[in-house]
Amino acid sequence: MPEHLVKSYDTELNRLRAMMSEMGGIVENQVALASQAILQRDSEAATQAVAEDPRVDALERDIEQFVVRILALRQPMAADLRFIVASMKMTGDLERIGDYATNAAKRSIVLSQFALPFSLAGLANMFRLVQAQLKSIIDAVGAGDTDMAIEVWRSDQAIDDVYNGIFRELITYMMEDPRNITPCTHLLFIAKNLERIGDHATNIAETVYYAVRGEVIPDARPKGDNSPYAVVRPQE
Amino acid sequence: MSTTMQEAKMADNSHGGVQVRSATAIGAARIAISDLDFYYGAHKALKAINLNLPDKQVTGMIGPSGCGKSTLLRVLNRMYDLYPGQRAEGKAMMDGQNIVDPATDLNALRARIGMVFQKPTPFPMSIYENIAFGVKLHEKLSKAAMDERVEWSLSRAALWGEVKDRLNSPAMGMSGGQQQRLCIARTIAVRPEVILLDEPTSALDPISTLKIEELIDELKNDFTIAIVTHNMQQAARCADQVAFFYLGEMVEVGPAEQIFTAPKEKRTQEYVTGRFG
Repeated sequence: MPEHLVKSYDTELNRLRAMMSEMGGIVENQVALASQAILQRDSEAATQAVAEDPRVDALERDIEQFVVRILALRQPMAADLRFIVASMKMTGDLERIGDYATNAAKRSIVLSQFALPFSLAGLANMFRLVQAQLKSIIDAVGAGDTDMAIEVWRSDQAIDDVYNGIFRELITYMMEDPRNITPCTHLLFIAKNLERIGDHATNIAETVYYAVRGEVIPDARPKGDNSPYAVVRPQE
Repeated sequence: MSTTMQEAKMADNSHGGVQVRSATAIGAARIAISDLDFYYGAHKALKAINLNLPDKQVTGMIGPSGCGKSTLLRVLNRMYDLYPGQRAEGKAMMDGQNIVDPATDLNALRARIGMVFQKPTPFPMSIYENIAFGVKLHEKLSKAAMDERVEWSLSRAALWGEVKDRLNSPAMGMSGGQQQRLCIARTIAVRPEVILLDEPTSALDPISTLKIEELIDELKNDFTIAIVTHNMQQAARCADQVAFFYLGEMVEVGPAEQIFTAPKEKRTQEYVTGRFG
């Protein structure tokens, strides 16, 4: 799109874009650090992930205030209005993603005190999927790429499927040996955190789509988390 | 809560009791404009305009200076008849009658389609006479009936309370906002069906502007309204339907929500976001 007649308006919108991209970058890094902390038992990474959280919270507040300021002073319309309101929504989703990454990182510290008699391959797979999805959606926000947003939106199903598998797997380990209950409970929460990160990435995908195209994604949202109905019984 | 109330609550698309309105439904046309061209001498100022003014709704017309929006208003009450060399071709149909047909009776037309201009134009006479003057051209009313008409139109224009004790004072002594509401009262006094407003608040302070906007909202219960405005927020606040004009063409028309949140045309998008070069 061509530039605004008022140059300072473009400057403000570019600043908003930069703040969103900065926040996206920090949150992406937080998830990577949480992954490192849990899968590599790296307590330094866990500390770093937790230490980033106040920056994310501060950015969310800054973006909210900046958006209110632009709304009041510029009275944006059409694509600008959609982008500005979308930024306000997406900053909330990013903040939640940051919280989930922080929470997962904190749990890694307890987890590292236990010797795990089982593999974390499922969780590693889930981390890979979630990190790829997060990277794609942050790129899609930066580029206003709705095709990429749709791809992220559809790929949430795969994360949910892996989550359902991990849920059942962890219950099995707990039934096998009660000493597994503490680490497995933490792992369950970690997996749930990742599943929620996927959901927030999906929210962002919907928001980007609306901001760019001015219409909502036409299909119904895929819902794949079946764990609320999961029952794993011991063999009689 | 009674069963019927519950059913009604479930039936409407409400959240916490607040009705969530989707795009305004645009009603049937009061005036249907089709393939309308207009010429200032050799200059074609309107090019094949197709636009409906929906009955008892507000149509906002926006666009940069010289885009043809005010010209279209002038066509709709044949203002151009005063100037030689100006002519309209095409159709602007109201009740089966083509407004731009030279055979159309101008006095009857202007009683049905009233117009209010950018600057308040009160006559140099009393407030009462400003209203009564136009009515006398079209109707013979008794003193009592005329008093009633003056009160009715001043009340509808949200001015009665402010002027009822000084109806015989000169209208030129009123504030700008009051003068503009007087002009609106004068327009509705002849009981038109359509009111054309050409930038009615551009010379007014913000409070007077809001009073006029409130008035427009009130008047659309009875009248079909078209408003030309340079203020996009005003069009967004007042209009049910918005038409965007550029270089004599009507680029896009749609519900106000659509034009200001997700316009379909690139030129509309650029204009409403302030990117017009």
